[in-house]
Amino acid sequence: MAATVTRKYQASSKTIRPWHNVSGMGVSVALLLLAYYGVIFVYPFYRAIWLSFHNWDFIVDPVYVGMRNYDHVVRDNYFWQAAKVTAIFSVAEIVIALTCAFLIALGISQLSSGFLQRFYLGLFYIPVVIPSIVSILLWRFLYLPNDGVLNGLLTRFGLPQQPFLNSSDQALWCIIAMVVWANLGGASIIFFAGINEVSIDLLEAAKLDGAGLWRQTKDIILPLLRPIIFYQVVVSVIATVQMFEQFYLLTGPGFSTRTLAVYTYELGFRTLNLGYGAAVSIFIFLFLLIATVIQFQRFLASRD
Amino acid sequence: MASQSSPGRFRVTQLWTSGRWVKLIIIFLLTAFAALMVYPFLWLAFGSFKTGSDIISQPIQLLPREWTLDGFRLVWGQSGLPRAYFNSMFVSSLIVFSTLLTSSLGGYVFARLKFPGRQLLFYFILATTMVPFVTLLIPLYLVMLDLGLLNSYAALWIPAGVSSFGIFLCRQFILGIPLDLYEAARIDGAGDFRIYWEIILPLIRPVLSALAIFSFLGAFNSYLWPLVVLNNQDLYTLPLILVQISTSMGATNYQAVMAGSLLASIPTIVVYLIFQRNFVRGIALSGIKG
Repeated sequence: MAATVTRKYQASSKTIRPWHNVSGMGVSVALLLLAYYGVIFVYPFYRAIWLSFHNWDFIVDPVYVGMRNYDHVVRDNYFWQAAKVTAIFSVAEIVIALTCAFLIALGISQLSSGFLQRFYLGLFYIPVVIPSIVSILLWRFLYLPNDGVLNGLLTRFGLPQQPFLNSSDQALWCIIAMVVWANLGGASIIFFAGINEVSIDLLEAAKLDGAGLWRQTKDIILPLLRPIIFYQVVVSVIATVQMFEQFYLLTGPGFSTRTLAVYTYELGFRTLNLGYGAAVSIFIFLFLLIATVIQFQRFLASRD
Repeated sequence: MASQSSPGRFRVTQLWTSGRWVKLIIIFLLTAFAALMVYPFLWLAFGSFKTGSDIISQPIQLLPREWTLDGFRLVWGQSGLPRAYFNSMFVSSLIVFSTLLTSSLGGYVFARLKFPGRQLLFYFILATTMVPFVTLLIPLYLVMLDLGLLNSYAALWIPAGVSSFGIFLCRQFILGIPLDLYEAARIDGAGDFRIYWEIILPLIRPVLSALAIFSFLGAFNSYLWPLVVLNNQDLYTLPLILVQISTSMGATNYQAVMAGSLLASIPTIVVYLIFQRNFVRGIALSGIKG
């Protein structure tokens, strides 16, 4: 059914009837949007690129330095450390969250009453609805090394206490756990909506042919969900790479949780190294662009 | 087709012939997992009614040993929380309103109206989503500085007031509305705007509901941007004030921080409850499914 809907979209977008030639409302809305995006996107984006070729500390006038900022970025160990943290976080968060979300959605789709389905989806959605700042403060309590809930529970089960955010090995994984917790419900609902759209006829035919749980999931549901999975991965990469306050407020020791976004903020607003900060932020853009293009290529290739 | 489900209505199908015990295992696993998901928030909610020493005394206990409203009194009376509450609600409402308006207008215009450069502008708006906000952070700050908008509601509102994603979502949705509807309205003499107002808007309610939730959560959660453009505490939004509270009271008054966090969660939960009826349907019908 998903396929027919998509086809309808494509067909209708090509057959817009020439009722009039040019719509006045269309032109006005377009001009407004153009002005808005000019101020909020085009100029700032141009300015980011411009800044990345200059040195500026906000006090003395900007000085043109050519490619020097980019040159520094490539050799900057702090930059690569931040890039590594960002990459580990992004990949781990996405793999764990999407896998769990799919299993949850599949489980919920098997419940035999709409009420139960709504009930469980609602429970898993609670962390999404809580403001992210509240999740962060809440998990900071949970992770407290001495009085925290998690160490309290560990003690109760006779397990050794953990340093959590105070350990450079554990801090990043603590943040990953928190973000998975916070985001899981959103992906679950989207997967559930996708599973809900799988044609019943198809599944019943497969069932008659003796396909069980594993075969139906692997051969019917997962292939049909591929566009959703692809979309989820693309969106999650863009979102996770940009996360800020999670790392800014749940900081681990040293640079163990400093991501590219935090590094950019510190360069721009703490050390007032605006040109260099802009260069780092351009690298973030390029990384995301490359990651997205690769994902698109792989997605399109897998459809043939 | 009788078997065709209407999207988003919760369909109850058995994918495979599962015995009763399989279903019981599924329910057991889901319940255990859900408990794990809900527990932290319950701990926060009950923690708001505990005394400070109760929160950290071992063994950990979910319910308060002694119920008290101290945390709420402290956080409401001795911090900028009430003011921040207003700021957050005001700015988030503005953002949601302008996002819904511009997304539906933009979606309609790009889906159904003719004007030069339509495709180009649409793909341009789509392309802007590829540039991460951190890349624009420093120059956007400079723009606000140049416009003299630092420390103002406008600075919080403007960069979030239009959503490229929302325009895209509405366009996809509107493309799926049968053309007959437009033709009928057009024959009746309706202009572009009337068609938008009387036909499109009511029909895209599900997608607007989903968008309202997304944009409200986004605006309400926003931390980095307010951190950058605000230093006047009167304008602080809830995330900023909560961090401040946790710095100033967090070492001694856990209950105050928890009470503040609980209060700050109310608006997002309420907004979700208001719009959630259409939420799954909005997701199912929207372009999200690719």
